[in-house]
This record gives sequence, C-alpha cells and structure tokens, in this order.
Amino acid sequence: MTTIEAYQAKDYKSDLKPIWCPGCGDFGVVQAIYRALANVGRPPHEIAFVSGIGCSSRIPGYTTVYGFNSVHGRALPIAQGIKLANPELLVLVAGGDGDGFSIGGGHVAHAIRRNMDLTYIIMDNQIYGLTKGQLSPTSPRGLKTVTSGYGSMEDPVNPLLYVLGYGGRFVAQGSPADMAGLAQMIEEAIRFPGFAFVNVQSPCVTYGQPDQQLKFQKQRMVSLDSLGHDAGDRLKAMEMAQAYGDKIYTGVFYREPTPAPAYEYYVRDRQQVLAGEAVDRSRILDGFAPPA
Amino acid sequence: MLTDLSIGMAGSGGDGIVSAGDSLMTALAIEGYFAMLTKSFGPQIRGGESSFRLRVATTPVRCPGGALDVAVALNWDDFLKFGAELPVTDRTVVLYEAASKVAPDALPLKGVTPRAAVAVPIEQMAREIAGTEKGKNTIVLGLVAGYFGLAQAAILAGLKKRFGKKGEDVLVRNERAFQAGVEYAQAHPIPSLEPMAPPAARTPRLLTDGNDMTGAAAIFAGCTFFGGYPITPSTEIMQYLTREIWKYGGTVLQCEDEIAGIGACVGASFAGKKVMTATSGPGMSLKTEILGLASIAELPLVAVNVQRGGPSTGIPTKSEQSDLFQAAFSAHGDVVRPVLAPTSVADTFGTVVEAFNMAEQYQTPVIVLSDQEIGQRKEAFERIDTSKFQLVDRLRPGDADLEPYIRFRDTETGVSPLSHPGMERGNYLASGIEHNEHGAPTANGAVHARMNEKRLRKLDPLALRRDLFETYGPADAPIALVAWGSLAGVVVEARDMADAEGLAVKVLVPKLLYPVAEEVYREFFASVRAGLVVEQSHQGQLYRVLRMFVDVPRGLKPFARSGSNPFSPDEVLARVREIAGQFRADREPVGQAG
Repeated sequence: MTTIEAYQAKDYKSDLKPIWCPGCGDFGVVQAIYRALANVGRPPHEIAFVSGIGCSSRIPGYTTVYGFNSVHGRALPIAQGIKLANPELLVLVAGGDGDGFSIGGGHVAHAIRRNMDLTYIIMDNQIYGLTKGQLSPTSPRGLKTVTSGYGSMEDPVNPLLYVLGYGGRFVAQGSPADMAGLAQMIEEAIRFPGFAFVNVQSPCVTYGQPDQQLKFQKQRMVSLDSLGHDAGDRLKAMEMAQAYGDKIYTGVFYREPTPAPAYEYYVRDRQQVLAGEAVDRSRILDGFAPPA
Repeated sequence: MLTDLSIGMAGSGGDGIVSAGDSLMTALAIEGYFAMLTKSFGPQIRGGESSFRLRVATTPVRCPGGALDVAVALNWDDFLKFGAELPVTDRTVVLYEAASKVAPDALPLKGVTPRAAVAVPIEQMAREIAGTEKGKNTIVLGLVAGYFGLAQAAILAGLKKRFGKKGEDVLVRNERAFQAGVEYAQAHPIPSLEPMAPPAARTPRLLTDGNDMTGAAAIFAGCTFFGGYPITPSTEIMQYLTREIWKYGGTVLQCEDEIAGIGACVGASFAGKKVMTATSGPGMSLKTEILGLASIAELPLVAVNVQRGGPSTGIPTKSEQSDLFQAAFSAHGDVVRPVLAPTSVADTFGTVVEAFNMAEQYQTPVIVLSDQEIGQRKEAFERIDTSKFQLVDRLRPGDADLEPYIRFRDTETGVSPLSHPGMERGNYLASGIEHNEHGAPTANGAVHARMNEKRLRKLDPLALRRDLFETYGPADAPIALVAWGSLAGVVVEARDMADAEGLAVKVLVPKLLYPVAEEVYREFFASVRAGLVVEQSHQGQLYRVLRMFVDVPRGLKPFARSGSNPFSPDEVLARVREIAGQFRADREPVGQAG
C-alpha cells in the first residue's frame, strides 16, 4: 500500500515541454495540480486526466498520469466513460472556457446532474488563445477581438452560476496568482465525492486584456473566507457568483454539506443486485427461445 | 401441401395487428417452423394504420418474399396504404371484413383478380363471441389456422399465456373467438386450397429481431459498456442492453446526445473495456468526429448503424442501404475503418461478434451496417452453436513491453500493445493530435506519414478474409448478382429461382464492405460477363464503391432504388431473365446450368 508521503509534486510532472507562452496562467495551474495530486497521494497510473482542445487542454501531456488529449468539447463524456469503466480511478477533466462552455457546453449540465466523482477544472481566460485571439463564451460584452472588431454584442457565460444553477455540488474559483490557495482548492475538489468544479482565472498573456494579468488580478481578488462566506448555502453561493466578470472571489462558493452518493455507486449496486441473473455467456441466446 | 406461405394483414391501431403477428410468429417458432415477421406502421405515434407480413416455411426463410398467399384486410383504406409491402396477385386468397360492404368481385385492387376473396363478419363475430371488438385479431388467427391447418395447439397455448392473467372469463372468450375463426374457415372452404405441411422437426426455433440479437451478441463478445442516445430504428439495442448488461458487470449510459454516447465509449475503451454504441444515420453523422478520434488514438470500438431512409431525418421507420458511403468515407484525414454488414437476424450474431474481434485485434473503430429491415424484423431460425465463435481480446503489454512502455510502437503488424489506466508502468498520453510512437504530440511530416502508414497497415490482413464473403451458385457462371445486408436473402432466393429455370447465375454476398477486399472480387468476377449489384439506395452505393477499387465486368450494372421500396425475388429474377435473354439475342453463351 502506497503511503501519502510517497509522492511529491515532481512525480506527476512529465518531460514534455509546454507549448504555452511565457507567463501563461496555465503554468501555475499545472503546478497547482502537481501539488494537489501529491497531497492526495494516488500513484500516477491510477489517475486518468482528460481534456479537449485548446491551449489549456494540452495539460494532461504535462503530467505522468494516464492522459487523454481528446477532441474539442468532448472531455466530459470521455471522462464519464472512463469513470464508469473503472470507478476506482481518480479522474480529472480540464479545458478552457471555449471547450467547456461553448462547443462542449451541452455536456456540462448532464455531467453535473449525473454526478460522477470527477474533478472538472476550467482554465478561464475569456479568449480563444490557440486560434489567436477570437471571442470566447466568457469574453465580456463589448470586447474587441479579431472576430468582434466592433465589440462583442453578447453577454458572457457565467461559469460559476451555470454550474450552480444546474445543481453543481462543489463549485470553487481560484487563480494562479494564489498558487497555494489554488492547489488546496483542487485537492479539496478531488477529495469531494462527486462532481466538483473549479473555475480558474488563468490569464492569456498574449491575447488577454492588460487588467486580467496576474498582477492586476491580485488586486481584484477577494477570498470568500475573508468575507465569512457560508459554503453550505447554495443561494448565498449564487449571490456571490453574480460578481463574476466584476470581482474575482476565490475559494469555495458551494460544497454540498452532506454529499449524495455518486452515480457509480448506483451502477455498482445495480450490477451487484442483478449479477445473480447472469447466464453463462455461451447460453445468452437461450433468452430467445420462444416461451414454451 | 404448402411448404412456404406468406400472410399479410393490415388494419387500424387498436385492431391488434401487431399482437396478432407476434402471437402467430411465437406459435410457429414453438412448433418448429422457420418464419419471418416484418411490421410496418404509419407515422403516427399511436393509432393510425399498421400491418404485418409473415412468411412461414419448412426450411429457413431468407427474405420476406413477394406476393402474399393470404391477405387479411380489416379495413381497406388501411390495407391499401401499404401498397408494395402487401402485394396481392392472382395467387392470393383475400380475407376481409364483411362490414366493409365490398363485394368479393369488386375489391379495391387495381387490375388484380385474387385467387379467392372471402368476406368474413370479423367484427360481428368478435363482438358476439369475444364480447369486444378487441377480439378481431383472435378471430383472424382462427381463420388463418383453420384455412391452412397451422399451429392450432401452439396458438391456443399462446392465448392462454397472454389472456390467462386477465382472468378466466377473458381467456375463455378469446379461446372461443379463435375456435370460431377455425370453424368459419371449415364452413367456408376455398376450393383446392392446400394446407401447410408440418415442420421438418418439432424443435422450437429461436425467435428474435436483429436489434435484440445485436445486444445479445455484444454481451457474448464481452461488451461491458454501451453509450448511446435513443434513435429509430436502433433504440431496441440500447433497450435490450439496459435490461441485460448489468448482470454481466456492464453499464449502459443513456447520454445527452449522440456525441456523448460515442465519447463515453471511447473513454471506457481507453479504460480497458469492450464497448459499443448504436444509432442510425443522423446519429452516425454526429458521431463522425469521435470515430476519427478512436482511429488515431487506436482504441477498439464497435458502432452499429441501423440504417433508415435519409438524408437528414429522411424516413426513420423504413429500411434503406444508403449509408455505405458515410460508413466508408465520412472522416477527415487518411482513415480506413472496417465496415461489416449482417445479412439476417441470425447472421447478426456472428457479424457483431466479428466486429468486436476486429475492433480488439486491430485497435480500431468498426462499423456494423445493419438496416431497419434486419433490425426490426423477427426471424424464427435454427439454434446457433455459440461454441464455434472465438473471442479476441486486445493485445495487452507484457513485462517486456513496459520497459519502457511505448504505446504506439511501430511493430511489424502495426498493432501495438495497449495498456489502460490502472496498469502500472503503462501510463501514456492518448490523443487526437498526431503523436509519435511514445504518444508525444508532433507536427513532424515524417512522423505523420509513418503513423498513417502504421494505422492503415494494421488492416492489411482483412484483404484475406474470404470467410467474410458468401458465394452461391456455379463458380463459372457468366451472370452474377451482388447484394449485401437485408437484400442478400432476396437475391439468393432469386438465384435459386433462376437455377430452377436452368439459368447459371452466381451470387456474392460481402459481409465485409470496407476496406474493399479487391482480390476476392477479382476472383469472383473472372467468369462474369454481366450481372447486377442489387441495393436499396438511389445511387447504388456498393456498385460505386466497387468501381473505385475493382475492374468490374462491363456488363455489371446497378439495380438500385431508394429505400422504403422493398425488393422481391420475383423482380430480381425478371431482371436476370432479361440479361440471359440479351445473351441469347447477342448469340452469346446462355450459361445453361448443368
């Protein structure tokens, strides 16, 4: 049996050199993930890390765990397949705001209501970086980009309210500007026995706005703990989440006080209850004998 | 005595058409007959017109057949809506509702004088004897059993099972209704009508449809994960597995959409499980991107497409074979993935097992192209000896492969050992982005070319799979028929009829549609001067695909038309006769058999 102390952050770091621009917020996120995984202490081969497409979706390749850098927007369905195939695995899912709330937005609601024990980390930079600076679903109204030269005419998605609104049982927000806090938050999300969502304000150093960069972010960040926020109150969490796009509240918005059993628990239960009805597979066609 | 009998029946929703067909089918299977039941409905969710046609024989039934021997019209308006599906000719006995007030010599059938027409007061008998109009279908069962001496004991046993739980009174009324039908037939004999011969052996046959068979075959093959989304006409596959898969430690995930369905499958396959998804045309369109992901990530996956009329929503409830181009070619990038097609309900078992074996062997998605006809028709067929089917599992890394593990190692066969999360030292990055042998992302042209070559080389052995082709008839015949999927049975039957007329005709039935096994076709076409590729698609998609890869004989032509227009062996035979006649006119060898 592996002890918790046996793993250090570096054990989760791969030899691949990130393609990210110098100063990208995602460097901080991957560091926080290494730390969180070391604290949780599961060996890398018992972890699956799934992503979609985008700058941030390169992240599984920078870890030593079983990674799956899939296609745009489909990380959550793939991760759920992995979890159901082997509920013992620790399954992480990550991607950008475009991957999670635009092309893959339809999957988020269902991952939430199914409630498998997954940790979903969004690196939210309010821009499409990989394709060089287009409007993203979390871009603020009025933002001028190469696809919104006269300014965005849309309201942004609020990822925090989105997840809370669909019944998310663990919702947090962090920033690489507070690495220790982010690592701790991700660790807590991993330990939460259900679908856990962490929105990370991870600025794009190349296409992002100046006021989004880490040093300005620090000035806008307010820890929910410092405000005495009650993370057991969903309505209060939704009230605080309204500040998205204005203030950056960090910490846990909502944590279900008594977590309900995750989906895979019901699956295992059904399998156990029905196992006795199995016939030898070679006799599976006997089920098609007409009722005599 | 008759050895082959086709019965068709149509009426309105609530007439119990479907349950009459099912009851008769079950009784025949119990008795040991071979049979095939196809149902057809109007577009209404409930009610509306419905029909079935049932063909029963003392030998295995290959296709629904052509003209009906018996047509039962509870309502002429409904009956006529099924036109080509319920063809009446001068050999048909027509039994119809007397309340329609139609005279036997004035049936609303254009240009057809049936062999006999009997107006039966079905509704009145049902009301008087069964106590409710709902008994109409039981009267009809009695009529059919009475006229042809069919399976009376088994039908009565079926009534007992079905109505027994509704109380003694209901059961007795239905038994009487059945008896009344039998007696009516005896009291109103049709001259020179032959009874049905008894079955060759009183051995109960297996009885199911292609969709349930797909589910059972998947469980047999070791499938423990199904992800999907409801879509006509494939949904019964998911429904079967929802009942059964848990017993075998498996899971069905009904997903939020078609993409998530196949996405979850890719995830579960990555995690080491045998997986399947099932859908129909529109769903396949949506799944296409992730099929490509499974190809480049080299993950085994079976995707079943129960084809329906297309494009777009098309005709969801009718069969068509128009998704072959999609199955073979709907991918960006240089991708080849195997496409298999079952030819019957019984054949679906082996085809689906083969699909799992191929997927596991070559770490690739495999598409099974079933169709609505096979998916939803019921067959009573000979028991299948499951012990003759071997199962293949993916190549998993041994200790030597893990020192260090190179996921996409370019081996001689192109197949690399495949680990899964949970396996120590097997950690790797799976990806849709091009990668080197270690799994690291790359944009290097040389690596890309080599990995493409590796992924395609894996499938080279498929060119040698002659066992995935069925042939019928003399090997040197100058006339050939090619057909796949549900049309295979129609064409094989037409060949038998041609053979009986002394025409030398052979048939090729490919069950592996893609990649095209060029050598198999070359050998088959060597003797062929003319022939037909018979398919239910407007363009003749198999014919076109063959012309891409094979030098087909100049005289080989498509005999193709859109779905929802069933083919009968008679019309294929008529075309064969034309071709043979052309030979005579050209003073070419006619190709007389024997």
